[in-house]
Amino acid sequence: MTSSSQYNIISGKKDGQRIDSRIMEETIQEAVALGKRYLVVKAYGQHGIGGRLWRAGNEPVYIKIDGHPGQRVGAMGFANTFIEVMGPASDDVGWLNAGAQIVVHGNASNGVANAMAQGKIFIAGNVGARAMTMTKRNPRFDPPELWVLGSVGDYFGEFMAGGIAVICGYNPQRPDNVLGYRPLVGMVGGRVFFRGPHRGYSQADAIQVPIDDEQWTWLRQHLATFLEKINRSELLTELADRSQWQLLVARKPHQRTGTMRRSMTEFRRQVWDNILGPGGLVGDLTDIDRSPIPVITRGELRRFVPVWENNQYKAPCEAACPTGIPVHQRWRLVRDGCIDEAVDLALAYTPFPATVCGYLCPNLCMEACTKQEAALPPVDVTRLGKASVDAAVPRLPELSGKRIAVIGGGPAGISVAWQLRLKGHQAVVYDEAETLGGKIAAAIPESRLPADVFAKEIKRAAKVIPHVHLRQKLDRSQVEQLVEEYDFVVVAAGARKARTLPVPGKQYALTALDFLAAAKQGKAKVGRKVVVIGAGNVGCDAATEAFRLGASQVLLLDVQQPASFGKERQAAEALGAKFRWPVFTREITKSGVVLESGETIAADTVIISIGDMPDLDFLPEQVTVNQQGFIEVDENYQTTHPRIFAIGDVVRPGLLTDAIGAGRRAAETMVAILEGRRPDPDTRPMISKQRVHLEYYDPRMVNLDDLDGCAGQCSSCGSCRDCGICVTVCPEGAISRAEEKDGGYSYRVNDSKCIGCGFCAGACPCGVWNMVENTPIG
Amino acid sequence: MLPDRPIAPSTLSVKDLSWQILWNRDKCTLCGRCTAVCPVNAIEPGVFRKRNVTASIDPAAPPETRFSLFYGIRQRTDPAYACVGCAMCSLVCPNDAIIPARNDEADKQRFHINRGGQPRRRGGRRNQPAGILDRIKFIRISMLTDPALDAGRHEFELRTLLGRVLPPEQSLKFMKENGWIPPVREIYPLVIGGMSFGALSPNMWEGLQMGVAYLNEELGMPVRICTGEGGCPPRLLRSRFLKYVILQIASGYFGWDEIIHALPEMKEDPCAIEIKYGQGAKPGDGGLLMWHKVNKLIAAIRGVPPGVSLPSPPTHQTKYSIEESVAKMIQSMYMAWGFRVPVYPKISGTSTALAVLNNLTRNPYAAGLAIDGEDGGTGAAYNVSMDHMGHPIATNIRDCYLNLVTIGKQNELPLFAGGGIGKQGNLAANAAALIMLGASGVQTGKYIMQAAAGCIGSESDRCNICNIGRCPKGITSQDPRLYRRLDIEKVAERVVDVFLAFDTELKKIVAPLGRSTSLPIGMSDALGIDDYHAAERLKIKYVI
Repeated sequence: MTSSSQYNIISGKKDGQRIDSRIMEETIQEAVALGKRYLVVKAYGQHGIGGRLWRAGNEPVYIKIDGHPGQRVGAMGFANTFIEVMGPASDDVGWLNAGAQIVVHGNASNGVANAMAQGKIFIAGNVGARAMTMTKRNPRFDPPELWVLGSVGDYFGEFMAGGIAVICGYNPQRPDNVLGYRPLVGMVGGRVFFRGPHRGYSQADAIQVPIDDEQWTWLRQHLATFLEKINRSELLTELADRSQWQLLVARKPHQRTGTMRRSMTEFRRQVWDNILGPGGLVGDLTDIDRSPIPVITRGELRRFVPVWENNQYKAPCEAACPTGIPVHQRWRLVRDGCIDEAVDLALAYTPFPATVCGYLCPNLCMEACTKQEAALPPVDVTRLGKASVDAAVPRLPELSGKRIAVIGGGPAGISVAWQLRLKGHQAVVYDEAETLGGKIAAAIPESRLPADVFAKEIKRAAKVIPHVHLRQKLDRSQVEQLVEEYDFVVVAAGARKARTLPVPGKQYALTALDFLAAAKQGKAKVGRKVVVIGAGNVGCDAATEAFRLGASQVLLLDVQQPASFGKERQAAEALGAKFRWPVFTREITKSGVVLESGETIAADTVIISIGDMPDLDFLPEQVTVNQQGFIEVDENYQTTHPRIFAIGDVVRPGLLTDAIGAGRRAAETMVAILEGRRPDPDTRPMISKQRVHLEYYDPRMVNLDDLDGCAGQCSSCGSCRDCGICVTVCPEGAISRAEEKDGGYSYRVNDSKCIGCGFCAGACPCGVWNMVENTPIG
Repeated sequence: MLPDRPIAPSTLSVKDLSWQILWNRDKCTLCGRCTAVCPVNAIEPGVFRKRNVTASIDPAAPPETRFSLFYGIRQRTDPAYACVGCAMCSLVCPNDAIIPARNDEADKQRFHINRGGQPRRRGGRRNQPAGILDRIKFIRISMLTDPALDAGRHEFELRTLLGRVLPPEQSLKFMKENGWIPPVREIYPLVIGGMSFGALSPNMWEGLQMGVAYLNEELGMPVRICTGEGGCPPRLLRSRFLKYVILQIASGYFGWDEIIHALPEMKEDPCAIEIKYGQGAKPGDGGLLMWHKVNKLIAAIRGVPPGVSLPSPPTHQTKYSIEESVAKMIQSMYMAWGFRVPVYPKISGTSTALAVLNNLTRNPYAAGLAIDGEDGGTGAAYNVSMDHMGHPIATNIRDCYLNLVTIGKQNELPLFAGGGIGKQGNLAANAAALIMLGASGVQTGKYIMQAAAGCIGSESDRCNICNIGRCPKGITSQDPRLYRRLDIEKVAERVVDVFLAFDTELKKIVAPLGRSTSLPIGMSDALGIDDYHAAERLKIKYVI
C-alpha cells in the first residue's frame, strides 16, 4: 500500500457543482490512461465509479471512494482494480463485475454483486435485496466472491449460477433471518456459507451440505482476509467457530426433484383415509374392492365369460322340423360311424322316417339349414330318411296298464300310438279304413312313394301297435264309451271330407281325395284334357296321377298364386302341367269349366282340389269345434274335454310331419299327466345362425352323394363336433377337454386363465361357445 | 356380413362407418386383448376362408385351387356395434397390429343411429374442435411500462372471490342494520365443475376429491370442486374436506335429504351452494340416470332405492318466475347453513342471461352467477342438444360483465364461466381470456377428465360413450370391472399436476401484464383477436 500522498484526488464537484457521471467517468479513465494508479474519488452520487479500467493493463489501480458513490460501484470492473468505499454504498455494487476487488466499509443497498462473474466484494455491514443474483462462474477464472459481515436482504441469490457468498451474520439487520425472504430461488450453481438463523430457502434449488475440512480451511483462511479488508480482524475468533457455519449449494440437475412434497400414497394413508375412515370416501357404503386392476383381466374380473352351450339350443333343422327330429344329431352319429344308431334315432321321433323324411316331406329341415345362409347346399336329409327304411323295431318297455284309444290310423294316429307305446302305454287304434296309414296309404301316388317303403314301415308300426281295429266307423255314443273305458281318447280321424265348390255343376267334378284314392287302387280314369281346380300340392299330386293315367293336358286353376311347392309341384310341372291364376269358377259343365269372365275351359275331367274337411259328427258334445269346422285344442293338443286330445288334420290342415309332430307332443302330454307331472315341452330356442361359422366349408363342394359326405358337411349347429379348435385357438390356454363320468365329454374353461376375448366363440365351427356378460358386481 | 343375404337400408359396409379398424394380419399374434377390451364389441374374432389358385406356365401342370383358413379380427358393421374410435384395441395390442382410423369422408353411419326412432344420445361435448377462445391473444405485455414480473420467481396470489362483495359503505350499513354481510370465499379461480357421483365412477370421484384436498392441504391452493347433482358421500359431508366442496342442488334434488341429515354433524361449512338451472352441453334439457346404473352405492348416496330410474327434469318444479327462482332458492339455501355459505345459480349460456343477471344484482344474497357455455360437457344428452343448442360462453360472459360495469357492480357480483375451457388443451389461456373478458373464475369438468383420468373423448366424436356405462377408462362407469382401471391416487396426482401446471401457465400469462396479486378480471385491454367482427362484438382489440 502506498501513502496517501501518492493518491490523485478526483472530486465529484467542480466549481461547487456536482459533476455529471459521464464527466466523472472520463476523468477517471483519463487519469488511468495517464498512468495514475492511485485515485481518491470524492463521490457525489456518481454512477459506476471504478469500472472498466482496462487502460492500466496488468498494473493494479487503487481507488478509494469517499463521500457517497452512486449506483453500480465497480460495475464491469477489471481484475486490476481495487476499490474501497469508505462508507456505505448504493445499489448494484460490483454489477457485472469481471474481476475487481471491492470493499465497502458500510452497508450496501440492493443488488450487490448482481451478474458478477469474477472478483470479490467485501461488505462490512448488511446488504439489501437481490444480492448475489444472476452471478456466474466462468471456468477460465476463479469464481466470484461476496462477503457480507451482517445479513442479506430478500430474494438473495436468485438465479445464482456460480460463485461463493459468505454471510457472517454478525450484528445482522434481521437477527431472525440472515438470508432474507425467499433466498436462492432458481439457484443453479455456487455455494453460500452462512452463520445465523434463517427462515428457509428454495428447497427445490438449493441443498444444505456439511462443510468438509477442505472447505472449512478455505473459509477460515479467507475469513481472516475478509476481516482484515474491512478492518475487523478482532472478530476472527468469534466468527471462526466452525460449528456456527452452514453451507448451501445448488442442487445438481440430477438432485432436482421438483418441489418436495408428500406423496399421494402417503397423503391418502395419513390424511385422507385417516379423516374419512377405512375405505376412504365410500368405505362406509360399500365393501367392493376398488383397488386398481389391469385392463386385461381374468376370473371374476373379466367382462365376458365363455360358456360351452353344447346342445343348449335347437339346431335350425331340428327347430324347423314339426316332428322335432334332431337331424344334426343323426349326422353326428353318422360321422361317428354309428350309421345304425343314426337311423334308429329317428324312430324315437317318428314311425315313418323313410316314408316321410325320405320321400314325402318337403323337408323343412333342409330349408332351414344354416348352410343356406352362405348359399351352400343344405345337407340332404332324404338320404338318411331313405336309409331308415330298414330301421329295427325299437325295444319296447313293459306295459304300464294305462290305455289310450286312438281314433284314426293315419300318420297322426300312428304317431301318437307309437309314442305312447314307446313310453309303455297301450294304444288301441280304431279306423274306418281297411288298412292303416290314412292319407299316405289312400291318397299318395306311388310315383312319390315306393309301395314297399311304406309297406315296411307300416309293418314296423304294426309291430309296435298291435291293437288295431280297422273298418270301425264310430258314432258319438261309441266314442263316449271309449272315453269311459280308456284313460285318454285321441281323435286323429283326419280330414276325409273333401271340400267342394258351391257352384252349379259340381256333380260333374271329382274331388281330389276320391280321385287319388281311386287312382291308387287302379280304379280311376281320366279324359285327355284334365282341369284341376285348386293348384295346391294335392292338386299337383292329382295332376301327376292324371298324366300317369293318360291325360295329355292338365291345367291347374287357382284363385291366387298357387301355394304348391316342392316335389309335388316339380313332378307336375315336369310332366307338363300348366298353371293359371287368378281365375274364378262360375260353373262346371259336361264340357268343362266356365269362368266368371265367361270363358270356358274345355275339360274331359274336372278335379276339385280345394282342401278337405274333418267329419266330426262322432265327437262328444264337450269337445268344441271352431267356426272353420276343426277341433279346438291348446298347445298340447288337448281339447276342451280334458281326456280327449285331437291331432292332425282334424285340428288344422298340415303336412305329414305336422301330424306326426302333433302326435308326439300329445303323447308327451298324456304321458306327463299319467305320471302326475306337468307336460314338459322342449322349449330350447333355436340357435342364432350367426353363431355358426360357415367359413370352414368348401363353397365349391356340391357332392352330397353319400351319407358320409353329408355328415361331414353338416355344420352341427349348437352341437359340439369335438374338433378341439377352441382349445387350440384360445390364446391363454384356458380351455381344456374333459371326459365325463357318463362317457361323454365337455369343454371347460379355466377362469383364472381366461381373459374373455371370445376367440373360442369366434372360432367354434358349430356356434357352441357363447360369450355372456359376467355377473354384475355391486 | 355374408354376401348371400339381402341388404336393408341400414346395412352398412366397413367403409360407411365412422371408424375403420385397421388390422395387420402379419403383426397380429391372436392374443385376444383387443376383442377382450373393446367397450362396444365392435370387433370380434373371425374365421377367414382364403382361396389360393395356382396355375403354372408349364402347360402340362394342372391348375389347382385350394382353400385355407386363418383367424383374425373382424369389424362389425351393424351400427349398433360401430367402432367409436377409442383405440383401446391399440392400447392393449402387444404388436401394434390394430388401430382405428377415421373415415376419410363423411360417414354414412350417422344416418342410421336412430334405430327404433330413438335419436342419437352420447356423452362428451359439442362436436366442434375449434373455438373463439383459442383465437384470443394476450397482447398487452409490460415492456418497461409496468414492473415486469417473473412468473417463475415472483410470488403470486392467484385468487378470486366467490360471494357478494358489497361496496364498503354499503357493507358497513348492512352490518349496522342487519348484523350480517354476505359471506365471501377466497378461492382458486379454476373450479372443477359439477360432475355427479353417478355420472362419474366412484374411483374417479374420489380421485378428484383427493386431489383437491391435497392441493388445499399440502400445497395451499384453495381449489374448489362442485359435486354436480347426485348428492355427496356421507363421509365427505362430515369431514373437514367439505370446505373444499361446492354442493350442487339441481332439479332432481338427489341426495339432498342426506345432506340435510348431515347438517348437525358437519365439521365445516361447504365452500358454496350452486343451484343448477341449466347445463351448457344440453341447455333446457334434463337428465335420466337409467335404473340399471342405480346400484347400491349410487342409491345410498342419492338417497333412493337401488334399481329405479332417476329423472332430473329440465326445470325445478316449484319455481314459477325468474324473481321467485332467484329469491326463493337462494334464501332457502342460505338458511340451511345459517347464512354463512354463499349461494349462486348456474345457468346454461343463453341470450337471456342478462335478465337473470339483472335479477341477481337486485338480490344482495346472490353470491355470483355461473354461466355454462355451449361447449360444456355432459355424460349423456341428445346429440342434437349437444351439437346445436346453447350459447357461446365468450359473448355471454362479456355481455354480462359489461352490463355489470354499466351499473357499477362489476366488483360486486362475480361471474364464473364454463363450457369448453381447455377444449384444445389450452386451459390456462382459455381461462385467462375469459377472466379478462370479465369472469371472476372458470369452471371446467371435461378437461379434468381428459387430463386427470385419460378420458379419450373428443370433439371429433371419438369415444363419447359416457352415456352407456362402458367408459373404457373407467371414468363414467359404475362397473367395478371398468372403474377399477382407474387408480384413485393416480387421478389425484394428475389433478395436482393439472393445477400446478395451470398455475404456472396462468402466471406466465398474467406476469407480463404486471399482475401478481389480483386477477386481471375484465382487463380487456390486454386482449386482441385477428377477427374484426369478433373484436367488435367482444369489445377487444382487433389485431393482425
